Amino acid sequence: MTTPILSVDDLKMYYSVREGEIKAVDGVSFSLEHGGSLGLVGESGCGKTSIAISLLRLLPDNAEIKGGHVWFDGMDLVTLPDDQMRQVRWDRISMVFQAAMNSLNPVYRVGDQIIEAMQAHWESITEAEARERVAELFDLVGLQPSFMDRYPHEFSGGMRQRAVIAMALSCNPDIIIADEPTTALDVIVQDRVLRKLEEIQQRLNMGLIYISHDIAVIAEVSDRIGVMYAGHMAEIADSIDIFERSLHPYTHALISAFPSIKGKKKELKTLPGEPPDLLDPPSGCRFHPRCPRALDICTEEQPALRDYGGGHLAACWNPMEVD
Amino acid sequence: MTGNGHEAIIKVEHLEKRFPVSAGLFRKPKSFVHAVDDLNFEIPQGSSLGLVGESGCGKTTTGKLIVKLYEPTGGHIFLRDPDREGYTDVAVLRGPDLKVFRRRVQMIFQDPYESLNPRRTVFDTVAEPLAVQRIGTVADREAKVAEMLSLVGLVPAVTFMFRFPHELSGGQRQRVAIARALIVEPRFIVADEPTSMLDVSIRIGVMELMSELADQMGVSYLYITHDLAVARYMCQRIAVMYTGKIVELAESEDLLSNPLHPYSKALISAVPVPDPRLSRDVIEIKGGISKPIDPLPRCRFFARCPLADKECETKDHPPLVDKGNNHFVACYKV
Repeated sequence: MTTPILSVDDLKMYYSVREGEIKAVDGVSFSLEHGGSLGLVGESGCGKTSIAISLLRLLPDNAEIKGGHVWFDGMDLVTLPDDQMRQVRWDRISMVFQAAMNSLNPVYRVGDQIIEAMQAHWESITEAEARERVAELFDLVGLQPSFMDRYPHEFSGGMRQRAVIAMALSCNPDIIIADEPTTALDVIVQDRVLRKLEEIQQRLNMGLIYISHDIAVIAEVSDRIGVMYAGHMAEIADSIDIFERSLHPYTHALISAFPSIKGKKKELKTLPGEPPDLLDPPSGCRFHPRCPRALDICTEEQPALRDYGGGHLAACWNPMEVD
Repeated sequence: MTGNGHEAIIKVEHLEKRFPVSAGLFRKPKSFVHAVDDLNFEIPQGSSLGLVGESGCGKTTTGKLIVKLYEPTGGHIFLRDPDREGYTDVAVLRGPDLKVFRRRVQMIFQDPYESLNPRRTVFDTVAEPLAVQRIGTVADREAKVAEMLSLVGLVPAVTFMFRFPHELSGGQRQRVAIARALIVEPRFIVADEPTSMLDVSIRIGVMELMSELADQMGVSYLYITHDLAVARYMCQRIAVMYTGKIVELAESEDLLSNPLHPYSKALISAVPVPDPRLSRDVIEIKGGISKPIDPLPRCRFFARCPLADKECETKDHPPLVDKGNNHFVACYKV
């Protein structure tokens, strides 16, 4: 195994609200290989977006990183001074947000907005160089370079999303974090954006952290998948292993609940109950009230991520298959 | 569609809805969006039809036409009336007949966060259709609401009855919306993306509930969704819509495993598969969906179609033709 480019160690991020503390990310560890792609999957409120904004320290006022480390190129991003963090953000690690297609300013030309982002980070770049770079990036994401002088309203949703991806690529980052970048798009357009993203990631040998609630999309873009539940990492393994021999009952339930149009029409299984309230999470394993395999110990002690061989990690007292 | 129990509950014939494109204040509109154009289908009693397509294809407009939230600009919707012989034309319903229609046909909306009034309790929301229809006394209604809440899995009903929407989770809210739709014992429900706002683990529960209730109460659905996999599980048949037209209609399994129309093929090939071991062949089509403003009479898919030729360019939009096995396609090249 090569040394990871990004390594997250026991990260904790809490939101303080009137009623108390929401432990949105509560001791999460994972790593990303150089040029690898990691998918983070889970339901709303499981902490996937909170991880993304913690990595880049783009936290809202009521959120705070309470512990852990984010190792990137010899630096701990959790304790890095603000001015150095600014150099990492966008230059080295960039992000495509959930409603990114609406994040373009409607009164500026799309190309100019990308140029502005580049100039903010590379002061030496000239206007002509920047324009040339935007043309290259447009070509890379499959947009006609001549469209850089158009306004956002002249772009369709998929085109805007690709322009935002071009913007995220503009400073040659080592890692892109993509948070549900295709959720608002129709399937045909989503498919085009996904394939483009995968192609670029492989061609530029860039690290990709892809966040989605949709395990089908995650399965398509990621080499490794991390399954999150209520602020914890339940399981993390190579994509094939997650599907072929999921160890955590939650992973298993998530896959069994997902309808597909391919293959035999399998019976979909419901998961009883609802995700927990993170103001007052259940004791022990946070999944135990909904878990069909729960033991006594599950209610008392939180299981740690354990390596089951081949980089397959799961946090469960009574995992599937390994009986 | 003949035979006992397989008679159509609803028949849609040449249904059309055009929206005027504003030409400016005080000016008569010159252009129209042909949102729904010459739609024909029927849904057998107790069976469900999935209406799938991308945003802007006219699927929600179709649903709203059927429940009479929109008036059609052409065509007919016929609903079978269990109290009378034959069918009633939905368009001409007025007064008391319209009120009866509102009992027979209900709608469930996509977003349970927006479709429930935040200032009314669950009881108020679910009982309202009964009050409007003047069914039963207040005590009867309370018993009926409790029964419905148990039926949709909000148990014990008394603990939910006097809660407000903000005290419920997304899945519970959608169950309240389902209870409200079912309390007047409708025969037909238009469900517009009822599960697309819900998380996976909650979604299956709501889907199962809707299927079970359909079996128990003999309700048929028009199930509107962009998600083909959900349609596969919820519906016996699927209709694929493209800019106001149905381009293909067949049994769900048949349509998904053997699509014939080039648009359906591209659409189905673009759906991600939740299994990294299965590969899929991508069928690329050009361009994107555009609003059908004063479209030419030819096939709506012409500009993007890989099979298009002279015939498609000169002839009118192809009619839906049965290619055998009740598999209908609107394409000259199939």
